[in-house]
Amino acid sequence: MVWLGTIINGVLLGGLYGLFGVGLALVFGVTRIVNIMHGEFIALSAFVALGLSMLLPNAHPLLLIAPVVIVSFVLGYALQAIFVNRAMRLPDPVAPLLLTFGLSVIVRNLMVEAFGVNPRSIRRGDFAQLSVDVFGIPIGVLPLVTLALAVVLFLVLQFLLRRTEIGRIVRATADNAETVRLMGVRPASVYNIVMGLSFALAGVAGLMLALRTTFTPFSGVERLLISFEVVVMGGLGSFWGAMLGGIALGVAQLVGLRLNPNSGFLYGNLVFFAFVMLRPNGLFGSRL
Amino acid sequence: MKRLSPPLITFAGFAAAAAAAPWVMGDGGISLFFEILLMLAMAQLWNLLAGYTGLVSMGLQCFVGFGGYTTIFAANYFSVSPYWVLPLAPLVCGLVAACSTLLLFRLRDAYFSIATWVFSEVVAVLVLMMPGLGHVTGMTLETARDIDYETFLLTNFWIAAAIAGGTTFGIYVLMRSPLGLGMLSVRDNEIAATSIGVDVWRNRFIAYVATAAGCGLAGGVSFMAALFITVTTAFDLNWVVAMIFIVIIGGFGSIEGPIIGTVVFFGIRELFTNALALTGSWYLIALGTVAVLTMLVAPTGIWPFVRDRLGIEWLSVKRDVPYAYAKPVS
Repeated sequence: MVWLGTIINGVLLGGLYGLFGVGLALVFGVTRIVNIMHGEFIALSAFVALGLSMLLPNAHPLLLIAPVVIVSFVLGYALQAIFVNRAMRLPDPVAPLLLTFGLSVIVRNLMVEAFGVNPRSIRRGDFAQLSVDVFGIPIGVLPLVTLALAVVLFLVLQFLLRRTEIGRIVRATADNAETVRLMGVRPASVYNIVMGLSFALAGVAGLMLALRTTFTPFSGVERLLISFEVVVMGGLGSFWGAMLGGIALGVAQLVGLRLNPNSGFLYGNLVFFAFVMLRPNGLFGSRL
Repeated sequence: MKRLSPPLITFAGFAAAAAAAPWVMGDGGISLFFEILLMLAMAQLWNLLAGYTGLVSMGLQCFVGFGGYTTIFAANYFSVSPYWVLPLAPLVCGLVAACSTLLLFRLRDAYFSIATWVFSEVVAVLVLMMPGLGHVTGMTLETARDIDYETFLLTNFWIAAAIAGGTTFGIYVLMRSPLGLGMLSVRDNEIAATSIGVDVWRNRFIAYVATAAGCGLAGGVSFMAALFITVTTAFDLNWVVAMIFIVIIGGFGSIEGPIIGTVVFFGIRELFTNALALTGSWYLIALGTVAVLTMLVAPTGIWPFVRDRLGIEWLSVKRDVPYAYAKPVS
């Protein structure tokens, strides 16, 4: 029974990891950029959520999603428009990666200057402590909501990309950025929207992280590796793969910690290796 | 005049400067340059791998840390001076790297970069869990009490200078050799390289193992001088972050680039943390800003930007086209 509980909690944790990875997968799928800034945006969103929760102390924590998403979308859009598009015009494919690398160092250390390095947390009332008993296994409501939210966001994203006009444009740009120019699409504008969406997803991930645990400006970079692993396991650019990859990592981490409390993320990393050996192109090695 | 080529002058000048350093600088300067030289060596190695062979690794901290642990553990285990066991660091790291290629070379591009980082994290946790390596408290170099600090500092400085000089000029010689040409062809186009008879796997393997061994040696010297090692400092992601910064600021895929990048890297650090006495995060913000500006203004890095504008050569590994092919077709 203890093991079943561990596995269920691992699956729920995997929902959060899937959320970490999906924004990265989206940006990689469309722009082919490995966005090193992603972790910083998760941390920054946690601080934005903290600021909002101070402004609106009586609001339910989940109501913060809307403003966090809007702020993150605008920031992502602006960063892509001001910086990353410029680097993407260069012939060197490493340039955007290194640009986001530089930006991530700037953003992280500005957060250190602005907020300090002490762990912060959002006062979230008893919402975070709520749990329900399912056949004697206590399951936290917050992790359950996180997983549900992740699934809903994945469905929304899938719908957006498959069924709407903007989704068609995004997929066409991902396939061939030169050809869509002939149809009157500016790839740079598409990239702005995609980066905005990616940051909005990172924003939700940051908010859920902030509700779940304490955080510092380094919380993002500490989870960047997990985000990368999730994306690689899913197949770069695949959303459902990212979700399943996240769940595999979440289960591996919690089972591993039960086997050996000092192992940290060792078992998650080993599962990652076992996985990429069997499927070097990820679970769904395809594009959008 | 061919004998007085720029590389030869640079090498002689470097050797003379390193030999004369103790008479010019105090202990503070020697320690600073000890650190600078080791970082230069590591940046050259990262560039050998990423800039010349096309393998972008984010996990070289693995070998820095493992080299450090090997040196301190072996010195304590055999109760000898760390200098005797220092050669073990590159050997062990080269061996670990060679074994890890079975796993890592199955992966390409971004997958490879991420997998090297994961590999480093796995090694770090295994070292942390391994009995006899001090767990979270780390290890102290026990033979340190027999050491005369003054000569220890100087000897370490000269070892660092030898490593930095050896790596820089070793890579210079390597890149002018047929093997180096093979590495460049692997970076530029794997399929075309295979079609002209270049063994892609072998070229990557040699570059990767050599880089790992070099990083292991640098790590061994670095932690031997520190007399103390913990998992957090040894397997710190910031090792590889510093290497990447230096190479992208100075110039990707050139030997001069890492040299200039190292000067900028430590110049900014000394300016912000010592001269202006600001906190470490402002220094990192400045460094990030320089990297972003470099990418936007001179995306190939400072050295290629300056070289192409002024038309100068320094440690160029460019080859002359054989005369028969250079003739214009009439």
